This record gives sequence, C-alpha cells and structure tokens, in this order.
Amino acid sequence: MSTAGDQFSEVRNTRVSGAALYVVGRLGQGVLVLFGAVTLSFIIIHMTGNPATVLIGTSMPPAAVHILAVKLGYNRPILVQYVSYIWHVAHANFGVSVADGTPASGLVLGALPYTLMLVGISWVSAIVIALAVGISSVLRVGAWGDRLWRPVMIGFQGIPDFWIALILLFVLAVKLRLLESIGFYGPASLIMPCIALTLPIVASFTRLLRGSLLDFMNSDVVLSLRARGLTRREIVLYHGVRNAMTTFVSYVALQLGWLIGGTLVIETIFAWPGIGTLLYNAVEGRDLPVVQGVVVVISFAFVVLNLIADLVVLWLDPRIGRNVLGDNS
Amino acid sequence: MSTVDVFGIEGAPLGVRNQVKGRGHLRSGSLGVGLALLGTLLVFSFVASLVGGSPAHQDLNSALVGPGVAGHLLGTDALGRDVFGWVGGGIRTSLEVALGVVTLSLAMGCTIGVVGGLLGGWVDVVLMRLADIQLSIPPLPVFIAVSVVISNNMSSLIVLIAVFGWVPYARLCRARVLTERQRGYVSAARLAGRSRTAIAFVHVLPGITTEISVLASLQAGVCLLWEASLSFLGLGLQPPYVSLGYLMAEGRQVLYQAWWVAVFPGATLALLVIGFNLTGDGIRDLLKHDTSVGNL
Repeated sequence: MSTAGDQFSEVRNTRVSGAALYVVGRLGQGVLVLFGAVTLSFIIIHMTGNPATVLIGTSMPPAAVHILAVKLGYNRPILVQYVSYIWHVAHANFGVSVADGTPASGLVLGALPYTLMLVGISWVSAIVIALAVGISSVLRVGAWGDRLWRPVMIGFQGIPDFWIALILLFVLAVKLRLLESIGFYGPASLIMPCIALTLPIVASFTRLLRGSLLDFMNSDVVLSLRARGLTRREIVLYHGVRNAMTTFVSYVALQLGWLIGGTLVIETIFAWPGIGTLLYNAVEGRDLPVVQGVVVVISFAFVVLNLIADLVVLWLDPRIGRNVLGDNS
Repeated sequence: MSTVDVFGIEGAPLGVRNQVKGRGHLRSGSLGVGLALLGTLLVFSFVASLVGGSPAHQDLNSALVGPGVAGHLLGTDALGRDVFGWVGGGIRTSLEVALGVVTLSLAMGCTIGVVGGLLGGWVDVVLMRLADIQLSIPPLPVFIAVSVVISNNMSSLIVLIAVFGWVPYARLCRARVLTERQRGYVSAARLAGRSRTAIAFVHVLPGITTEISVLASLQAGVCLLWEASLSFLGLGLQPPYVSLGYLMAEGRQVLYQAWWVAVFPGATLALLVIGFNLTGDGIRDLLKHDTSVGNL
C-alpha cells in the first residue's frame, strides 16, 4: 500500500516524519493515476487505429479521411502523438470541440461546477444521513428502528439511481406537477437529481458505518472502557465513532467515483447542464476532444478528492504515518 | 476474532438478546433470500419467454397498452412490444452479461494476483500499482468514452466491463498467496515436491473459493447496473439485444403517457441487483460465522 515505503527507504533515518512520507507517497500515487488516466484517454481514442475515421464516419472516401488525419496530426507516428498529447493536456489543452470550434477545456470547465454542485450536495447529505442513522441504530441494536433500516438499506442499495430519477420524474413532475423537469433553474431543480443520487449511496454508507461501529463494539478496547464505567452510549459516541471514522472516510471518498458515474446518467435525464450531458452530447456527436477532456477532468477531480480524504484519514488516525516508517525498520 | 460479549446477553434488553442468539439464522437468512430472489427471477424469465409476447414482435395497433389489458400482463411500449416478454428476455441478457463479466475478470484477477504474490519483486510492485491506478479511475466515464470508438455488441461490452473488474480478485488472491505461504499445509506440499505454481492453483486457490464467490456475487450486481446504465444512454446493448436499460430509455420517452414501460424493467433490474447483493452478503456472513467457529 505504501508507495512511500518503497521509494523513499533511503531517507528513513532522516528527520522527515512518517506523516510527510505518507503524504508524499500519496501525491506520487495521485500523479501516477493521472498519468494512467491521460494515457487511457489517449488509448481509447486510438483504439480503432485512426481517430479520423471515428470523427468523419465510415462512409467517407479514404482520401477525405486522410486529409482530416493530416489536418489534425493523426498521421504522425503514434509516439509523437502521445508525447504531444501529454504536453497539451499538461497545459489543459484538449484541442477544439468538433461541434462548435470552442476549446474543449473551456466547455468541460464551464460544465464542471453544475456537476460538482450535484455530486457535492448528494455526497454530503448521504454522509449526514448515514451518520445519523448508523449511529442511532448502533445505539439501539436490535430495536425496531435498527431492524427496519436493514432491509430498507439493502433495498435502496440495489435500486438503480436512474430508475429512482424516472420515478421521481413521473410522480413529482408528471402527476403532482410540483417540479419542472428540465435543466437548471435554481435550488428547486436540485431536488430530484439529488434524491436519485443520494438514496443508493446512503444505503451503502450506513451499512458500512454500522458494520465498523459494531466491529469496534466487539473489540477488547470496549471491554476496558466498559470496566472504567462508561455507558454504551458514551463508548459509541466518544470512542466508536472516532474509530469507525477512518474506514468510513476512505470508503466515502472512494464512493465518489460511483457517484460521478451516477451523475453522468442522471444528468441526461434532467437535461442538467453538467459534464454528464456534455459527455453524452459529445459521444453522440463523436466529439473526441471533449470526450478526452471529460475523462481526464473527472479523473483529476477524483484524484484530488481522494488525496484530501487521505489527509483527513491521516489527521484522524496518526498511526498511519508511523506505520509508514514501521514498514521499513 | 474473540467476540467477547461485553454487555452480557443476560443483562441486555430482550431485543439484543434475540439478535445475538439468533445471529446464525439472521445471517444465513440473507443468503437464502438472495438465492430465492434470483431463482424466482429466473423462473419469471422462463415463464415470460413461454407466455409473454416475443420482444422482437412489434404491433402498432396495440401500442402503449396498459398493464393487464388485452393479454399484455405488464402492458406494451410505444412500438407495441410486450413489456412482460421484454422483461423476461432482459433478465436473461442481464444474467448473461453478469456471467461473462464475472468469469472473465475472475480469471484475469486471480491469475494476476497469484502471479504477483508468487513472483514478488518488481512484477508484484508493477501489478499492484496498476491495480491502484485502475481503482482510482471512475469506470463509467471510461465506458462511455470507449463506446464512441467501438460499436457495442454483447462480447465487446463484456470484455470492456470485465477489464475494469479484475482488481478485487487480484488483491484477494495475492494477499492469500502471501499469507497461506506460511501455513503448514503449504510446507507439506513443498516437501512432497509440488511446484509453487501448483501449490498456488491446486491448494491455495480452492481454499478461498468462498471468498472469491462473495466478490463475484457483488460484482455481478454492479456490472448489471453498468450494463443497464450504458444501454439506457443508448451506448450499450441495443436491439436485437433485449436489454432492461434500453427498455427504460424507451419508457422515459413515453413517461407522460405510460409509466409501466420504465417502471417494470427498472424494478426487475433492482430485484436482480438486490438478489446478487444479498447472496454476496449472505456468503460473507457465513464466512465470518465459520472463522469465529474455527477459532474457538
């Protein structure tokens, strides 16, 4: 797990602390991931051999394909293209959109805030709900509330988010006419997409939190806390939550990837002006620069958010930093 | 794994007492429910293929017929295709996709994991870094991007999703090869002259089939959702394939007149995913139960 441990074993006797090594290792891994994502987006576009054929369609004569390939530089050696692609991506340049000639990076960055708004609100509300439900159900294991939540959560976890979106659309927009269904028109437009995105992840968050809280409650630490006269409630609130939080934070950060996948579909249902709709339209119009831009930007956002989560985990559990040093000695 | 009962079963409220004592039942319960759910859906699919209309059969005279009307149990879509028959076929397609994806990524993941664990050194480092990278890239955007370039049919879709699913298997197999190496039975097999590869595949792997089946079951649920999402966007399986996601996209177009076209395939998909999740959870719970018994 610890990149730091492998790469920086020489410096273990210096005064650099384990925590710093851990952070450097994570940063290094983040850079690797981004490099992987950029490479992947390059490979995807070149999977068929010549991207010009994808852009222009298969019905055009070879001469026309060749002219386009020359114009866009797709006739150069593949390695040259790869290096120049990385160079351009490093400068946030994905080329111009085939659809309207504007820079693809501008399109992606323009749509990103709308997606982040959707993902952010759903994610935070899922975390808040999961904390409330998870903790209260552990406080009263076996009570009717705890028993009721389990099947409900298992159910929610399996329900496709885009199906929830369709049902909300049918009930709230078609039948009750409470909400409009098209695009972004202020806070009310967030309600349906956010509910659709939140419900499935609330379920998995709650189940994880409940599970790790119960694991903690079965550990020997609790025995000694109990011997000191703490009540179950105190143990759960002051010790259990803190202990369960490390697993919870890393899991919750990883689930952002799932959430990002979900928004791509949900956005097309609500004609939400985010990167999901952008990607969908780009795919429909075979707009390769925009497609590449979306894939790279999504990976970038994901890497940054996971880095932040790693820092939070490190802050919550300083043992992790010490373990990095411990690995080598 | 010592589950010291800190609060004492006797002193706990009745609910807790039942929970703790009845745990074995509760745990194996989800496995039973999960398998029963999947079994029921299979039977449903079979019945639908016998009784329901053919998914390919279009009949504009009976378009958007409501559920239960004119021999259409679950109604028809805008082209007059029978939703009941379509959902039945969709279950089969979903299960085919799940089976294909799971088999492929299981084979890939276990091989990679065992190779990494056995060889160690730089091969292991490279493979595990690859796994980290793979895990840090959200799959769905990549699937969508790939479908610009290739036209999706069932096998390319299966390969595509499977390529993104090998990591958990690889990690599990690698970790197990590393820990089991120390165990007595491995030394015994070494003494008997078995090669390391043979030990890994013949002795170690069979011992972790239950754990692998947990991963497989959970992955099956996830890849169903991915296939349906892609098909819903019009990028996955399109007719002549019978996909639940595709029918939901059709249903979205007519949501204002005919709710049943979107609702029934979605509910079926949800039940399939829940079935796989419950099965996976159930096996995992049994495992936990087993290990605690084994330690006693």
